[in-house]
Amino acid sequence: MKKIIRALALILALSLALSLLAGCGGQSQSAEPAPTKAPEMSEELESELNAFSDEVIDPDLTCTITLGNWPADTAPASELAVFEGYKATMAKQYPNVTLVPDYYSYTLSNYVPMAKGGTAPSIFQPPFTDPQLLISQGLVGDVTDALAACGALEKFSPSYVEMLADENGRIYGLPRDGYVLGMHLNVALFREAGLVTEDGLPMIPTTLQELAEYGQIIREKTGKAGLVFPASETYGGWLFTNIAWNFGCVGDSALEYQDETGRWVCNFTSPEAIAAMEYMRDLRWKYDILNADATTTDWAGSHSLLGTGEAAMNFAADDSVDQPTANKGLPLEDFALVPFPAGPAGRYALAGGTCYMFSPDITPDQATALMAYLRILGKLPFLDDDIIAGMRADYAAKRDRGAPVLPAISAWNDEEYNAAKQAIIDEYCNVDMRLYNDFFDSISEGTITLRAEEPVFAQQLYRELTAVIQRVITRENADIYKAMNEAQESFQEYLDDEINNA
Amino acid sequence: MKNRNSDLIRRGRRREDLKAWLIMLPGILLMTFFVWEPLLESIRMSLYKTENVELVKFIGLKNFISVMGKSNFTQALTNTFAYTFWSLLIGFVLPILLAMLVGETVRGKGFFRTAAYLPNMLPGLAVIILWSAFFSGEKSGVLNILLAKLGVPTQTYLTRANLVIPIIITIATWKGAGATALIYMAGMASVNPELYEAAAIDGASVWQRVVHILLPSIKKLAGTLLILQIISVFQIMYEPMVLTKGGPDNASLSLMQLMWQYAFGGSMDYGKASAVAVIVTAILLVMTAVYSYFNNKESDWD
Repeated sequence: MKKIIRALALILALSLALSLLAGCGGQSQSAEPAPTKAPEMSEELESELNAFSDEVIDPDLTCTITLGNWPADTAPASELAVFEGYKATMAKQYPNVTLVPDYYSYTLSNYVPMAKGGTAPSIFQPPFTDPQLLISQGLVGDVTDALAACGALEKFSPSYVEMLADENGRIYGLPRDGYVLGMHLNVALFREAGLVTEDGLPMIPTTLQELAEYGQIIREKTGKAGLVFPASETYGGWLFTNIAWNFGCVGDSALEYQDETGRWVCNFTSPEAIAAMEYMRDLRWKYDILNADATTTDWAGSHSLLGTGEAAMNFAADDSVDQPTANKGLPLEDFALVPFPAGPAGRYALAGGTCYMFSPDITPDQATALMAYLRILGKLPFLDDDIIAGMRADYAAKRDRGAPVLPAISAWNDEEYNAAKQAIIDEYCNVDMRLYNDFFDSISEGTITLRAEEPVFAQQLYRELTAVIQRVITRENADIYKAMNEAQESFQEYLDDEINNA
Repeated sequence: MKNRNSDLIRRGRRREDLKAWLIMLPGILLMTFFVWEPLLESIRMSLYKTENVELVKFIGLKNFISVMGKSNFTQALTNTFAYTFWSLLIGFVLPILLAMLVGETVRGKGFFRTAAYLPNMLPGLAVIILWSAFFSGEKSGVLNILLAKLGVPTQTYLTRANLVIPIIITIATWKGAGATALIYMAGMASVNPELYEAAAIDGASVWQRVVHILLPSIKKLAGTLLILQIISVFQIMYEPMVLTKGGPDNASLSLMQLMWQYAFGGSMDYGKASAVAVIVTAILLVMTAVYSYFNNKESDWD
């Protein structure tokens, strides 16, 4: 008995010691983080951070703003240093604005109770799928006047205005960055499979058919998955919509559309949608190129599989190039970003992004302070020394941590601003652009058509389609039409409940 | 004199009552605020059309009709009963066996007891992530590596509709069986040792001792743990949510996960989510009532 007591005491003592250690580690998380000087911060980055102007811009602006986009303590030190630099600059230029860093990672589920309870951070970053929902429910703050006052309102790209405004044209958000869906390649696996050109570059699959064939070769030659497809939750349906567009699910054959009476109609059983789902079936049962656990793989998992060399291709965008590289260790020379492959009916690519939105309780002063903060971050279309310093700091930080520094897809209609930004990016570029040119050229030359997400209840639509994909890739003899019809009925009922009969 | 004494006794009792109420007051307040009020609010919410957490319009049972009319509800309900079935099959007897084995162990009993309980000390999500690496369908999956040593080709596990629920229950049992076994061990320890001695003198075998002494002694305890297990498994959520995300094709979707999907899966339909929660509560109430009925009946027979 004594022995048991002794053993238990030992376990308890160990647990207490571990909790104390954990507590020590967590202490800095609760309060305002101590200024961080990154040990691995390059001199270049340090000098960029020191380049911000110290001049006081508005000594009278007095308010407190909580910054929900503050990086966690576990973020790379260079990234933390950049944010500390922004904060210090803000303190100099607006001495009476108090900035409270907040470790907030937005999800719809955690945001709603915070907004309702008055504890939402002043600024946070939702994806472009959520603004309209948040605006319609009154859960975000209006910044139209603050934007107009600083002169950024007129430079908004109209497509973004549509995404971030209500029906009266009032603006509730700002684009953080836009993205275009393409494909990430693990070039090392392409090399191993012999899929390289004379220049040693990967042979890019330009069509969905080529994707299947190349994937098959990679599977045969390397034993690894040709394509990682995250067919869980809503991710599968999200990626499938892009494949479906390329099979012709646009216009009258779109997956959802409004008929002449204004009623929203779900259309999963068109010949084009069925053909797209048959393609998904072939990827699994004919070509066998998908990763083994596709139905449990999520967005992060798909990047992990590509980055660790378990898969050769992944449908992903230009804003997540740091995931397989800096985060998962794939060397930059083994990584490429290519355009979304064309289907039999066209070549579309999903365009979306992340935005900044604001607490529903912000005051006009807070809105002004938030615009000033975003200006320092370089997220407003203005060019001054501070902004250039901010951009340089951002790109230097990216380069420091081994993430590709790539041309940005701008959300602002301001040629001067866009050209200046590109010039700075060129200075910091750390990759062989031949591995990226096709992607950016396809957008600038218009060889690919950009398309926004499905217009209404996209997440619900994706969830329905993901279930069909899961059935199709786990059961060889699944009745595709029946599965699509069931999903269509279910989503139509949802549309009727939520819009048509509301 | 008598009246005065009884007055004093009554006053003393009142004082005692007051003390008891004061001691219970914080608990009652906390229960009211954190348990009963949300419970009643959830029932109210299930009868309303909602806009995020606000009640917009009373719609009676419309949320229930809408939720129950969908195929994913039928699937989730069937799955939840399947979880319960597999949990009883895999997870009910195992802790009893474990308790018996540890109880019969002469040397290192403390070690085995701690070893059995250890998985319960691990954080739930860490356990799921650990097992997801074990059941990974890639070549690098732990089970696949082990099977490859035996010449078995790479298999997938978590993408097979017929395997996911037993796998999830196996994981949940691995984590929870030790804790339940400890309770059984305590129950078994309270059995009068003289009964065993008498049985041994009468020449009873181990099996006969188990069947005629041990099992009847822990019957009531097993009954209570059974209903607690059913209640717990009926609310299974994070295990399928993390391991399979309800897939493939909703094959591991549980009722509680469906509730989560309505609330936080993109549609923010708290009314329908509350309807699912109320349905789960109602089913559990019925099952508990049935158990209590038979339990009381059995007590009457005793």
